[in-house]
Amino acid sequence: MVLIGVICGLLVITALFAGCTQSAPATATPVPTTLPATAPETTTAALVAATPSAAQTTVAPTATPVPNFTPSQSNLVVFTAASLTGASNTIGSSFTKAYPGTTVSFDLDGTQALKTQVENGAYADVFISASNSYTNTLNKEGYFVPNTVQTLTTNYIIVILPPSNPGNIQTLADLAKPGVRIAMEASTVPAGTATLAVLNNLANDTYSQTWKNQTISNVVTYETSEPAVATKVGLGEVDAGFVYQSTATAAPSGTYQSITIPKKDNYLQTYTIGILNGSKNKAAAAWFEQFMISSAGQQILKQFGFTAP
Amino acid sequence: MKQNMAMFLERFRKKNYRPNLTYLIAGVLIAAVTFYLAFPIIALLIRVTPDMFFTTLKDPDVVRALWLSLFTTVITLTIVIVVGTPFAYFHSRYSYPGKVVVDTLIDLPLVLPPAVAGVALLVLYGRAGILGHYFNMFGISIAFTTLAVIMAQIFVASPFYLRQAKSLFEQLDPAYEQTARTLGASSFRILALVTIPMTAGGLISGAVMTFGRALGEFGATIMFAGNLPGVTQTMPLAVYVGMEGDINVGLTISILLVIISFAIMIVVRIIQKMEAARA
Repeated sequence: MVLIGVICGLLVITALFAGCTQSAPATATPVPTTLPATAPETTTAALVAATPSAAQTTVAPTATPVPNFTPSQSNLVVFTAASLTGASNTIGSSFTKAYPGTTVSFDLDGTQALKTQVENGAYADVFISASNSYTNTLNKEGYFVPNTVQTLTTNYIIVILPPSNPGNIQTLADLAKPGVRIAMEASTVPAGTATLAVLNNLANDTYSQTWKNQTISNVVTYETSEPAVATKVGLGEVDAGFVYQSTATAAPSGTYQSITIPKKDNYLQTYTIGILNGSKNKAAAAWFEQFMISSAGQQILKQFGFTAP
Repeated sequence: MKQNMAMFLERFRKKNYRPNLTYLIAGVLIAAVTFYLAFPIIALLIRVTPDMFFTTLKDPDVVRALWLSLFTTVITLTIVIVVGTPFAYFHSRYSYPGKVVVDTLIDLPLVLPPAVAGVALLVLYGRAGILGHYFNMFGISIAFTTLAVIMAQIFVASPFYLRQAKSLFEQLDPAYEQTARTLGASSFRILALVTIPMTAGGLISGAVMTFGRALGEFGATIMFAGNLPGVTQTMPLAVYVGMEGDINVGLTISILLVIISFAIMIVVRIIQKMEAARA
């Protein structure tokens, strides 16, 4: 008796799994008849370009709240490098204003974590990566739609200090002082690789290997994402932290003090954007990528401290 | 088999299907729970070959994370038991002003998200923290040290033991302790020789849960103690960081944790069986 129950249980569970992973009923993907060919200068121009297409009306704005990360006609899932956390709200609202009927969900995490998730089957429409090498790996493994990977923006590394500067750090040389506490990203995080490269460059050009070794021994924590380092610095728990310039620029004035790193020693981190093969909204994903590369998206990134590519 | 089917159909026809339905539902539920809990573990074991496992075990980061995890968790457990047992005893036996508040506070870390606990500890004991900056003046730093790992573990894991101990002591028939008192035993003797032996089984189970929770603590640790191999990088942190770099490292540590968990559960079952045999 119980045996029959167990078998039925297995069937029920299998059915449930099959049902849950079923793709949304495929209606004809609305292909906009007028894809904004030139970068829309203002959002109203984009509206004018988008509304005439009859296809827009088939994208039914959902009346009931759609849970995050459900693949649906009008919801885009964007896996984004954590350093775009500050900009993500503005990007999301600007995009949905320019393309009514769409919603964007950002999954913000270290690029290394997002890459692992994609490789293990996580669903996303667009992937914004902070590291060329992770992008190349994913590309080689065939996760991107061919020819959709483009350069999005760039970022430099900077040293930030708590506003009160408890470690009394005036120059980069002070980072090697004994007793200084530094926060850095883990080496698997793109910002961490960039920081290590910067330290190497600085050691070779200006300071010594001893300086580099001292600085590294002053690191008290290897965080798993770039914003986490900024948080520790902001709380005053560490004396200095290596982050992207965008974090320092976009923060309200007075949040951090900063020490810039000379361009010749700095590491230019290149962000890329691409559409994933597994996406079920490739058309909407293309709109998003187009939006981000156009002057509308670039303007937002510049506002948040990113450097134009 | 045919006979069983015939009997089964007979009972159905007689509309006496209630017991069968119960068995059916029971079967479904048991299957669902068993598979939901077992399959992820099995998947983990399938994904890592023994070869990969032993190679990655030699990785110095893995070894350090293992030692640090075990070291901190054992200390956490010791402190929770040594301090928590008398506390739970007095808390359950006496009533004092503010007892309700303390009762609620014991349960608080259970519902508090670990990351929040980490932030709270950091804001209090951190170098720029409310209490922390006094410690800092004396040169004592707490955040980003192994001590911080232990403090974070105690914060999130102690409720498991305290609640268990408290409810066990409350349920214990006071007659035993009263008899001991009439025979002239002091409070301490009563606690050690009467109360604890009688509640040992439940206390051990509470200790096991505390150990497990402390071993698996991630959010509070990374927030308050940071992530530094050898100093504050416990196994869960190593899994997370490892997964992103070399997935084999992450999987190996995960299996290590599963093995340790199973080992503890087996040891506890054996102890409980021994206790039951003695009683």
